Amino acid sequence: MSRGWIVVWQHHNEMLHGLLNTMWLAALAAVASLILGALLAMVLMSRLRPVVRIATIFIDAMRCVPFLLLAYFVYYGLPSLGLTLDNWTAGLSSLIAYNTGYMAELLVAAWRSLPADTIEAAHAFGFHGFGVFRRIVLPPVLLNAAPMIGNQVIQIVKDSAFLTIIAVAELTHAAAGIQSTYYVPFAAFVAAVLLYWLLCLGVEQFVGVAEAAAGRRR
Amino acid sequence: MSFYDWLSLLQGAGVTVLLSLSGIAIGLPLGLILAVVHWLRVPVLAPLVALYVSIVRAAPAVTLALLIFFALPSAGIEIAPIPAGIATLAISTSAFDCEIFRGGLLAFPRDQVEAALAFGMPALLRFRRIILPQMLHTVRPALINEMTLLIKASPAIAVTGVVDITRAAVRIGADTYEPLPPMMAALVLYSLFVLLFVIMQRSTERRLRREALA
Amino acid sequence: MTTPLLEVGGLRKSFGDNVVLDGIDITVARGETVCVLGPSGAGKSTLLRCLNWLEKPDAGVIRLGGERIGMRAGGNVSMRDAELARMRTRMGMVFQHFALWPHLTVLHNLMEAPVYVQRRPRAEVRAEAEALLEKVGLADKRDAFPARLSGGQKQRVGIARALAMRPELLLFDEPTSALDPELVGEVLSVMADLRRDGMTMLIVTHEMGFAREAANRIVFIDRGRLVEEAVPEAFFTAPQTERARQFLARYAGTLSGSTLARMPA
Repeated sequence: MSRGWIVVWQHHNEMLHGLLNTMWLAALAAVASLILGALLAMVLMSRLRPVVRIATIFIDAMRCVPFLLLAYFVYYGLPSLGLTLDNWTAGLSSLIAYNTGYMAELLVAAWRSLPADTIEAAHAFGFHGFGVFRRIVLPPVLLNAAPMIGNQVIQIVKDSAFLTIIAVAELTHAAAGIQSTYYVPFAAFVAAVLLYWLLCLGVEQFVGVAEAAAGRRR
Repeated sequence: MSFYDWLSLLQGAGVTVLLSLSGIAIGLPLGLILAVVHWLRVPVLAPLVALYVSIVRAAPAVTLALLIFFALPSAGIEIAPIPAGIATLAISTSAFDCEIFRGGLLAFPRDQVEAALAFGMPALLRFRRIILPQMLHTVRPALINEMTLLIKASPAIAVTGVVDITRAAVRIGADTYEPLPPMMAALVLYSLFVLLFVIMQRSTERRLRREALA
Repeated sequence: MTTPLLEVGGLRKSFGDNVVLDGIDITVARGETVCVLGPSGAGKSTLLRCLNWLEKPDAGVIRLGGERIGMRAGGNVSMRDAELARMRTRMGMVFQHFALWPHLTVLHNLMEAPVYVQRRPRAEVRAEAEALLEKVGLADKRDAFPARLSGGQKQRVGIARALAMRPELLLFDEPTSALDPELVGEVLSVMADLRRDGMTMLIVTHEMGFAREAANRIVFIDRGRLVEEAVPEAFFTAPQTERARQFLARYAGTLSGSTLARMPA
């Protein structure tokens, strides 16, 4: 088994390349789904009933479907509807679509727990429309929701591993490649699992910083 | 989609249901044991459990499945696809269940424990009759939520060669050159399965809310 | 005869079947301090909240400095959000539960609306905000977060925040009702200073002692109607209506020495 570790170390560039791709995918998907989720949250909190209905149906749909099935749908299914994407784009867009709904929901939960009179004070002081959202609602919502957003980012990192099945060159794919070429399954996949763990710890560090900032204001 | 296609889809559904329920059935008691070991701060074991849970919770299901299916044989343990799939799901969910149970144990109202102590109840009895039943009741919604997450992660086991709903749907799509119908059917089947659990979760939440108001 | 700063005519508001305001007429002249008194549930807070259209009145005309609020000149079309927002910046509001923005420091609470709503230059706003904090006695708290302040301190920040907008009129919605008794005095003291500086104020309050000392005029509201209006001396010693008499009899205790002793000289 120690031979396995040596082989993995010799091919650490491939592992790192996979790791960087995973980080890149996760970061892009996290930022995009957070921004889109914020917009979707505005829709959900608006008073236009039909729009809220549509948004809710979208979110419930994303809740029911396994992520891999969605990725397959985007990659294999959409071409028959006329839209063909390469595996990277298909994977990234599935990640974004899938997580936008979750981000929206946790932002709405944090929004609802804001004291009502801080928003009222904003109106009384002349804030209106998007200005209220940008200056008065969003900052405390992001701070309070930071732990939940962190959990969701970890989910995104884990879901990205599914994309190895559509041959996206992320971390699990790299590990599987090394494994199948050099027959070192234990070392390769344990190394991959440990790298995912490090990513997760990194995200939790960030969340810790946000939680400290939120704590000073509570 | 032909009748035969539907049959193979339903077969995949059977596999998904079987493996998911097996994973849940093994993961739950395993998670509870891990939670108790951590909560009781058993020397040596407790920090190991904490480390194990931290790592497993960060591990994607696909990577875990590949690890179990391909690595165990190299250590001398031959494992077939289906047991490998069940083991993956069970190990993964046990880590999350552990944290859910631990949260329930830590949040347990201290004064009930003190009352039991005052009545001279020994530790095991205290745990079995006072703490455990109530705690299980409170964490039910979180556990059911984790079960739905397990179902949605179950397509990962396809990497071991198991043919679940997703893999069956993709295969039918590849054979018929019409990928959309089987995917839609797969979506419906998953939704039905998840819906069952969601209904369970909602009814538990309603009951908890009623009890809280009583 | 100069135009009154605030004119309210025929204000009506119901919540479902519950008629809260039943045709109220009020005017407030520049530099006046008007205290609105009345039993709980009489509609005092709703009245205040209708003035800046936080509640949308069912009927009535509200004019600030001659300009109509809430509806466009014709009276048939609602104002757009942006127009309403602009009118609101001319009226400062102080809330019963302070309503400070928790994610901002005290100084930034004061600066937020002047910079982002009125679009005044940051440096000028900062200088004015620091001066205001000095004035309410909280200069040392400029970098603290609201969560770390006492109720009295929070309300003083709330008053400073409203003043930072350079409003023509200040609306106070039971500013001391949520405070522990020993913290009430510091807030009333700031309000008394404002009156002396000539600020136009409309104050809904339960503090009878303050109303008697500081108000130019008392407006007594009961069950959605303006029942009596008089100078404080007249109202407190010789109420004209039966309901005012009943109200004062119930509140006689609060006109005790302790309340008056808390008042600034």
